Amino acid sequence: MPKKVRLPIAVVLALVLALGIAGAPGAAKMAFETTGPHVDEIIMPIIKEQQARRIAYERGESVVWSGLTQPEDIDRAKAMPNSDMTMTLGFHMFYLCFNMRKEPLASQPIRQAIAHCVDRDNIIRTLFKGYMLPMTSFVPQVSPFYKADVPVYPFSYAKAAEVLDKAGYKLDPVTKVRIDPKTGKPLAQMKIFTPTYEVAATSAELGKMIADSCQKVGLPVVPEPMDFPVMLDKIDIRDFDMYVLAWSLSRNPDFLYDFFHSSQDVEAGYNNPGMRNPEYDKQSELLRYASNLKEAKAASDACQMILAREMPYVPLYSRPYIDAFRKDLVTGYVPMKGFGAASYNNLWTTLNIRRVDRSGRPIEGGTIRWALSEEPKNLNPCVASSAYEQEVLSRLNDSLMAMHPDTLDDMPWMARKWDVGVWEPQPGKKGTTVTWYIEKGIKWSDGMPFTAEDVEFTINYLKANKVPRYLPATQDIVKVELLDKYTVKVYFANVSYWHIYSADLSFLPKHIWKDVKDWKGFEPWKEPHPKIKGYSKLVGTGPFILKEYVPGEYVRLVKNPNYWRLKK
Amino acid sequence: MGFRSYVIKRLVYALIVLYVILTLNFVLFRVMPGDPTKMIIDPNFTPEAKAELRSQYGLDDPPLKQYVTYMGNLLKFDMGLSFSTRRPVWSELKERLPNTIKLFLCTFILTSLTGMRLGVKAAANPGSFTDRVVITAGLFTHAVPTFFIQLLMLLLFGYYWPILPIHGTMSAPPPAGGWNIFLDRLWHLVLPVTSNMIVGFGSWALYARNTMTEALGQDYIITARAKGISEKDVLYHHALRSVLPPIVTLLFMSLPGMVSGAVITESIFSWHGVGRYLLDATLQMDYPAAQGAFYLIALAVVISNLLADIAYGLVDPRIRVGAGGAK
Repeated sequence: MPKKVRLPIAVVLALVLALGIAGAPGAAKMAFETTGPHVDEIIMPIIKEQQARRIAYERGESVVWSGLTQPEDIDRAKAMPNSDMTMTLGFHMFYLCFNMRKEPLASQPIRQAIAHCVDRDNIIRTLFKGYMLPMTSFVPQVSPFYKADVPVYPFSYAKAAEVLDKAGYKLDPVTKVRIDPKTGKPLAQMKIFTPTYEVAATSAELGKMIADSCQKVGLPVVPEPMDFPVMLDKIDIRDFDMYVLAWSLSRNPDFLYDFFHSSQDVEAGYNNPGMRNPEYDKQSELLRYASNLKEAKAASDACQMILAREMPYVPLYSRPYIDAFRKDLVTGYVPMKGFGAASYNNLWTTLNIRRVDRSGRPIEGGTIRWALSEEPKNLNPCVASSAYEQEVLSRLNDSLMAMHPDTLDDMPWMARKWDVGVWEPQPGKKGTTVTWYIEKGIKWSDGMPFTAEDVEFTINYLKANKVPRYLPATQDIVKVELLDKYTVKVYFANVSYWHIYSADLSFLPKHIWKDVKDWKGFEPWKEPHPKIKGYSKLVGTGPFILKEYVPGEYVRLVKNPNYWRLKK
Repeated sequence: MGFRSYVIKRLVYALIVLYVILTLNFVLFRVMPGDPTKMIIDPNFTPEAKAELRSQYGLDDPPLKQYVTYMGNLLKFDMGLSFSTRRPVWSELKERLPNTIKLFLCTFILTSLTGMRLGVKAAANPGSFTDRVVITAGLFTHAVPTFFIQLLMLLLFGYYWPILPIHGTMSAPPPAGGWNIFLDRLWHLVLPVTSNMIVGFGSWALYARNTMTEALGQDYIITARAKGISEKDVLYHHALRSVLPPIVTLLFMSLPGMVSGAVITESIFSWHGVGRYLLDATLQMDYPAAQGAFYLIALAVVISNLLADIAYGLVDPRIRVGAGGAK
């Protein structure tokens, strides 16, 4: 087995064993069901202070302590006898970015040598007590698009020196700094921007560790911690040499186009390193406009190979999702690859979580308490954009497709199937069509049927109002055609396999929203339902209904009696 | 100068100060490094979506136009829409104001009364055990950062001896019945108010002790004692009365500090108030929200200062005469 493969596997195994996941009760023993929910009510107290959140978990006032990142928190949760830990790989990527517009970082050997100077194992051991996964790829390991056999740059001062020597960057024996062969002068100082120690101590220390390593091979690299907004501003105007930052990526690798295509090296574009490589542009265009999965996979592989050679970033590590559950209170939570067991993206935990009795046997019904770390603030689905709002809204709404928790494959959900086709938006030009076949019998939480008309209405409404949150999804949609009550066809202006995800939105009930003129100011959770007493206009197709939201205090969800996946 | 002219003059000063604060409030957020859209826009947004959002929030308008809109709206008490929630800022502040006022009033009354009572007691018995304890405890708690005491209490009464609620203003969900709800709210006030009291009583106690010690050495106190007036009457009706003007001023002057101190208390105890709102808005570069919260705090500061000036003018006529020159 090659070393580059061995290392991540070893670390994952160590993590799994360290967390005690193998053989742990709860999630690991229970297969997930596609029906639910199994609790009658979820009370979500809003606890913003992290120490208070920890105490609430320890006092049993929350069944979950989610998104653990600090080693001391993980150790503390592990030490609790009634705590069950879950860990899954995530889409997080922490990286070192180069400014390829500037010398000497425009030079590929310099970037490759710096990549050789990064000791990921030491960084993870020293700064994170081993609770991170070393990352050498541009697509997270958990993604189905991850290419395992791309070249990597293992930590080695000897190899770094060899790359530099071969490229003509000779070491000056007096100053111990490499000489630039193009100018004959010592290399200019290169800075790594990091947030300050006060704001992000590990990132600041990480920058220092990389700079120290580079200096050992004669590269004059220094860390420069700075105020975070200032750092972001400097990145925006491309006034940097290197910086460290994180991305939260996604299952699909369409971000490879946004991050590295030359067309994105513009103001407000995401191509911060300034990569301009015609070969890469071609492959990333093929990826973005692939007409099917096979084409997308081939283009994604090609992109990853080019990136491994060009090294616009040095991927450093990926943070796994670690959640702690009170196994004396609940069971049935489902660890989902890429998202974790407690994520709002994880439909399966919402459906499967249930209470346990004193002997640990699952019981139906009852109330669980699930702490929120922030205020949901705005529950208007057109406006809500933060994860805190999705913590609530995701439990009130369902989507057309679901994602399998192990394979991350698309699964039919509110759509029993879908077809992807091609049409001609203009003579000689091709576009994608996606036809959705909606399950019959799905109802909104107020009892009204959910049909293709709601899909059509939502797309047209979002598009007509240019709702920013959905603009990336709706801007390529040309029209929507209602084929029958349960079938709808969406026409896109261009060809792209990824368009199937563009049409899978958070749907708006037509019978409520058709009269809403001010989509920005509408507060559906505050307005009473026109027909049903005690209900609000926040109507969804998901497993729960919002019963009460007391700002700053708590959110109360109750089981949706009209939910289409209720266990019969 | 008459009292009326004195008040009008103070009022004009207060309005000028308020105008300057509001202008600074506008400028400050715009010269701060960082682009607010970074905080409100999903990183996966396309440049087109970003441009649309910037335009909807008026961030593309020239600064002067933004300033005129801002001042005009403030006159109507329209603080705009929050960037992060897209809800009217005033609605969000109105939701939080009662909680902040409740916390503030309880803290203010209990802290000042406890501090003054202890200060008077210490001054009455200089060098006694009580005096030494009040001075030491007052200096110590006053010197220790607020957040430290509050986190310590959170740990003590939330974890090691879990008898008190650690977050929020009410149970989730609250108990049924008016009286139960009232008790529940009171119960949730215990930790934040007590911790504030521990941190705040020291300065009151020390101030009261020092002014009282000075007053108790005055001739009229000796005369009062010689007349056989009880020690309690001497302390509270003679000595304390004579030091009331500076204490009343201090009462009003301490209001702004307590309002801004709410930022820490509300953050630690997940208290749904204006202080926490201000902190979140500043961190998220939510201009309208932060401006709205600062506006309220600025109003509180200016009004407290005005009240302090008026109160001082009322209790000590020399002040209003001095302000206009001796006549």
